[in-house]
Amino acid sequence: MSRSNRITRDAIASLRANRSRTILMMLGPAAGVALLAATIVSTQGTRNQVMSLIAKHGLDMLMVRAGGEVQVFAPRADRGLSVLFEEDALAIEREIPGVQMMSPVQNQRGIEVVARDRSVVTRAFGVNADWVTIRRWSMVEGEFVSDDDIAGASRVVMLGAKVARELFPDGGAIGQTVRVNNDPYVVKGLFIEMGASAGGDDWDDRIVVPFTTSSRRLLNRPSLEQIVIRVANASRMAETAERVRALLRVRHQIGPGEADDFFVREPEDVESAATETSSTLWALLLAVSLIGLAGGGFATANLMMAGVSQRTQEIGIRRATGAREADINRQFLTESLLVSLGGGVIGVAAGVAAALGLAALGLARAQLTWVPFVAALAASVVIGVAVGIRAARSAARLDPAAAVRVRSA
Amino acid sequence: MPDVIAVEHLAKSYRKGAIITEVLKDVSFTVHAGEFVAIMGASGSGKSTLLNLLGFLDRPDRGTYRFEGADLTGADDATLSTVRNQRIGFVFQQFHLLERTSALDNVMLPLLYAEADVADGAARARRALALVGLEPRADHEPGELSGGEQQRVAIARALINDPVLILADEPTGSLDAKSGAGVLELLRSLADSGRAIILVTHDRVVAERADRILVIADGRIASGGPVSTKP
Repeated sequence: MSRSNRITRDAIASLRANRSRTILMMLGPAAGVALLAATIVSTQGTRNQVMSLIAKHGLDMLMVRAGGEVQVFAPRADRGLSVLFEEDALAIEREIPGVQMMSPVQNQRGIEVVARDRSVVTRAFGVNADWVTIRRWSMVEGEFVSDDDIAGASRVVMLGAKVARELFPDGGAIGQTVRVNNDPYVVKGLFIEMGASAGGDDWDDRIVVPFTTSSRRLLNRPSLEQIVIRVANASRMAETAERVRALLRVRHQIGPGEADDFFVREPEDVESAATETSSTLWALLLAVSLIGLAGGGFATANLMMAGVSQRTQEIGIRRATGAREADINRQFLTESLLVSLGGGVIGVAAGVAAALGLAALGLARAQLTWVPFVAALAASVVIGVAVGIRAARSAARLDPAAAVRVRSA
Repeated sequence: MPDVIAVEHLAKSYRKGAIITEVLKDVSFTVHAGEFVAIMGASGSGKSTLLNLLGFLDRPDRGTYRFEGADLTGADDATLSTVRNQRIGFVFQQFHLLERTSALDNVMLPLLYAEADVADGAARARRALALVGLEPRADHEPGELSGGEQQRVAIARALINDPVLILADEPTGSLDAKSGAGVLELLRSLADSGRAIILVTHDRVVAERADRILVIADGRIASGGPVSTKP
């Protein structure tokens, strides 16, 4: 065994012999690394969830929303804007090439739905037959809006999974009559469970009626909240979006230099908004983690320096028995690195467990990859070396004659 | 007998702020193999400073130091560390054992810093412990041993690399009379086996166990001197 290997082994033995001091020194890096690992696991989880939601809700869809400001995600409240109409939707379908499907969309919150002695207040959507295809949704039972329903403004309703569960906990909803804002509707279909959208909307807490039923009866207004469009060729998405925008500006008589009174959202907007959100979150959490790591490192550095002065006599003994400056340096650096790596192992285990625990409780998202482990290893080595260099140098430079004069601590 | 130590005109001073204290002014003497030398002097006379210089734990400001015939006055840290490791054994008043470390591992400490691996290190350490009568207590930690036993562990540690010189700084200072006598007996027998022993003490009774007494006063050897009274 080489001299350096012997000293490494001795450093391990020294750490083991002084367990409480070793554990105390590990706490700093452990806390910092735990924070970092938890951040990585939960941020990756969030990013992953957002990306899968975007994929689930379609990347080949253009959406026109009423209101001119940037609206990547749905507005949080009904706004009652009267700028977008069915005629706009029909003009888009008629005049713009490459529009494969289209549906005008009305929606409103606060709609009461009653089934016998049960009731819910939910959000109602009025759409046409292609909407379910454009939005990549489907029925678990029954059917969606048909062209006949549109033509006849039928009083049929499709229930989101949550609404169906609350109104018909024992099942058997299809064919039943429910009252929607006091008018009777026949339940025609039940949607599959969809969960939340990328913007956080609960897709299962809504009902859908034919567009004509909505505009003439339920909501009894001509204005739309949205127009959704499926584009035949996704690679021409931007071009189609620009044409839609140009057409609507003409139709809405918006002059040059005036702002749009609508917003055309492209799939890229969703993706970049989601990525930006998770990147901001990531940067914030990373900053917090780095502060944590620095704090942990600082605490360990102080403990290491205190350790050097507590161990002055030991350093003197080692020097008297033949240790060179370089040996003392190596011993303290090795101890620092091992303490930091040990803290890193504890920290990554605690951080990953905490992130997975929060995810299990539904308080956060988690995705486990190799990244937190590599980051923890890297952070531990950096802390170990940064903290160890100073302590090791001051230990090695202690005057051996003075060190052996020190009485036992 | 060849000289183990030959120092000439050694001087050492310490600076504390603006005050410079000249502890050793001009010290010259020799010690040969098998000789047991006691260094005496008043408190602060520079006994321990001299011992540190002789053990290469400190460097003189002036003068030369020939160790086993080689002038090591300006040698580097690695060379001096090797000499400390291979040729010198230290015994301190406070024993200076590593806490929470068995007697056996304490004795083996110098082997850690040896140039080459010592294959029979544990066996060698047990032999050293047997020599000081502590082999049965090899697995005990310092906290489980009496003062006399701890000092004997320290002597076993000093002996593990079979040194030519043992430097003992008040080795009986923390021991009761019986244990102290045992330790002196041990040092005496080590000198008789051919090692040079230098013992620093303020106790005349202890010093009289040596072959020769050097008294330091005013930074110089006041009596004893470079000529051995008992070759």
